[in-house]
Amino acid sequence: MTPEQLDLLLSQVQKPARYTAGEMGAVQKEKKPGMLRYAFCFPDVYEVGMSHLGMKILYAHANRRDDVWCERVFAPEDDMQTAMREMGVSLYALESLDPVRDFDLIGFTLQYEMCYTEVLNLLDLAELPVRSADRKELFPIVVCGGPCASNPEPLAPFADLFSLGEGEEVSDELFDLCLAAKRGGWEKSRFLRAAAQIPGIYVPALYDISYNADGTIAAVSPREGAPAVVTKRVVADLDKVFYPQSFVVPFIDIIHDRAAVELFRGCNRGCRFCQAGFLYRPIREKSAETVAEDAKNAIRSTGYEELGLTSLSTSDYTHLEELLDRLLDWCGERHVNLSLPSLRIDNFSPSLLEKVSRVRKSGLTFAPEAGTQRLRDVINKNITEADVLTTCRTAFTGGYTAVKLYFMMGLPTETPDDIKGIAELAQKVVDLYYSLPEKPKGKGVQVNISVACFVPKPFTPFEFEPQDTIGALREKQQYLLSCVRSKKISVSYHDAAVSMLEAVLARGDRRLADVIERAWRLGTRLDGWEEHLRVDAWRQAFADCGVDPLFYSSRRRGFDEVLPWDHLDYGVTKRFFIRENERATRGETTPGCFVRCAGCGADRLTKGACRCK
Amino acid sequence: MKTVRVFFEKTGRAVYISHLDLTRAMARALARSEIPVWYTEGFHPHLYLTFALPLSLGTVGLRETMDYRLLDDGYPLEEATRRLDAALPEGLHAVKTVDPVMQPKQIMWADYALALRCDFAQAKAAFDALAALPALPMEKRGKKGVRTVDIRPLFSVLSVEKSPKGALVRLRCRAGVETNLNPSLVLDAARERAGFEALAVLMTRVAVLDANCCDFL
Repeated sequence: MTPEQLDLLLSQVQKPARYTAGEMGAVQKEKKPGMLRYAFCFPDVYEVGMSHLGMKILYAHANRRDDVWCERVFAPEDDMQTAMREMGVSLYALESLDPVRDFDLIGFTLQYEMCYTEVLNLLDLAELPVRSADRKELFPIVVCGGPCASNPEPLAPFADLFSLGEGEEVSDELFDLCLAAKRGGWEKSRFLRAAAQIPGIYVPALYDISYNADGTIAAVSPREGAPAVVTKRVVADLDKVFYPQSFVVPFIDIIHDRAAVELFRGCNRGCRFCQAGFLYRPIREKSAETVAEDAKNAIRSTGYEELGLTSLSTSDYTHLEELLDRLLDWCGERHVNLSLPSLRIDNFSPSLLEKVSRVRKSGLTFAPEAGTQRLRDVINKNITEADVLTTCRTAFTGGYTAVKLYFMMGLPTETPDDIKGIAELAQKVVDLYYSLPEKPKGKGVQVNISVACFVPKPFTPFEFEPQDTIGALREKQQYLLSCVRSKKISVSYHDAAVSMLEAVLARGDRRLADVIERAWRLGTRLDGWEEHLRVDAWRQAFADCGVDPLFYSSRRRGFDEVLPWDHLDYGVTKRFFIRENERATRGETTPGCFVRCAGCGADRLTKGACRCK
Repeated sequence: MKTVRVFFEKTGRAVYISHLDLTRAMARALARSEIPVWYTEGFHPHLYLTFALPLSLGTVGLRETMDYRLLDDGYPLEEATRRLDAALPEGLHAVKTVDPVMQPKQIMWADYALALRCDFAQAKAAFDALAALPALPMEKRGKKGVRTVDIRPLFSVLSVEKSPKGALVRLRCRAGVETNLNPSLVLDAARERAGFEALAVLMTRVAVLDANCCDFL
């Protein structure tokens, strides 16, 4: 693309800085023959993709090599897409402005199911066939990673490879293989066979799926030497793993516009609905020294005014107090705010509370997830009503007047009492506020409850569970509204139709690929955005392909059924998930890993190394 | 503590940074530069930055200015320029740092160069025609909504030269806090009044001037 073409294109669109790169920290390289050109795509808009820490890590990691140039690609908004199509501009990578179709390797990170149609859309904008079998040349190779690669089957015919687990080590092995294939002028089939031998790389074309008469999977059969089970990759020692020394600093305001450091991977909690809590096990921490160094580098290289300490449960980080000791003054001198997302309320020591209170306050948010203790026991969410009320009391006396409470509906074993319990818990928070003599003077309280629809996910104890139908979820939403009597309580909830689509895609098999392609051809893209999602087009796509979505979303799976992801090993065993599912049905909780190891099996991946030991 | 003024250029990919985003980018560049900069006191300390004349998105700027406050009055200004320049992204370039002479409110005019891909003779005719008009009422979009303004006293056509792609038009437009004319409105007038349309436009602000048409210093 010529500079003048780019100018003409950008003069027609909103927020053109999304499409130009040139940010501080963006990596420019001299093009050399033999260099591997890698287009790393985030199948959503710039503001979302640039907020994702994993992409920043892997971008810097790939670019530390002289023989690889990794560039970024995000989904254009509709105005840009239209302008590109009108001007005949093919999808380009931000740094070089070169067309993506000429790259050797195209990576997609799959952070949520609703991005699937955008993967197809980006391939099409790059003027490439969307199906792997129709891309006959060796390059570009299309590889998908991220949490949704844990059930890659719905996207199997589109991708050449899936990368399971953590990307740092496996991406180097994949780059080396690509470079060898490039030098040797391999056929694509030879490359795919060789890639299947890299641990953690899943090559879907090398697996045949057969089905039973009832539509369930009969068997998954590997071919041409591909392994029967592909095991995800994990990095054993987080103190030694690569962490970027510099980051791209966006010009435009993105969703999480701050420097970020990682505290630990995995989670000790074992909430039974939470896919991330199981997918990233075993638990491995960075030392406070490593995190503090990472943090200082990140601030110095970016000039950011905010630093986020990220993990799945920040207050569970063993060295949090030591880290805050190392960082609070350093950040203070530099006018840098610390942000601590994902704080839990049940494990605050008084001295930790004192330190955290020095950090600028954001909103007060709890995630009880369910309205009654019975149901919280079923989902193993170890928060009690007393926890919520005690912390609210402290917060209200400290001047807070607004609380946000997150819940889910449609959880296994749920009854109308559990829905009513959501409203009752919110009411108790309101009543608590007005009972306090030391409440902020002259101010009312505002309790916002946000209720998501439960989506059963692979690699969780609830992977066997049916999802409530759209009708049932909407009835529950109405019932909840009828239970709320106070004007101090506001309720927001998710669109049940979206949650159902998510459930279908999350636990889908290879036969869903036709539906995804059909939906995309009918014009769906960026389905995670309310203004883009077209439920009617999806409905038509299911009908056109003769696929019943309820087979995937609302059917109970037997423990002995072959699940579409059973040939993938993410560490935690299916035996453990079955055991946890049975405990859930009985309403029995399982203590967190730091209390007692529950024997989930994930420590096999690190030869026994897990923080639970 | 003292206020200093840095002259900078905004070219290449950086022309697509909006004014609001530029403020943030400069604040972060100053933080990276480790120049001793003064922050406001209070709950939310922030830098005190002043841009004399915001630049429209998509326009190249060769004489842009930003004022900020140094903690140390004796800090060498060459060092401040060098450090800030090293911390700036592609397309932003710190040229020099000075002790301010004028107030931003003294700005009255700005010179623009419009590189147009077009037929030269048509461009020449159109801008000559605009220059000959006694009045030129145009709809101007502002904070108060759309209103009609006679823009004729607000600009002069300095020259229309032939260029390899068509024409290079130099305009002097009123600028500043009170009245500001975006040169794209003159292009709109050329289209509406003289039927002139350029296939591509690259605008550059080449100078910022006071009432006497002297450089803003």
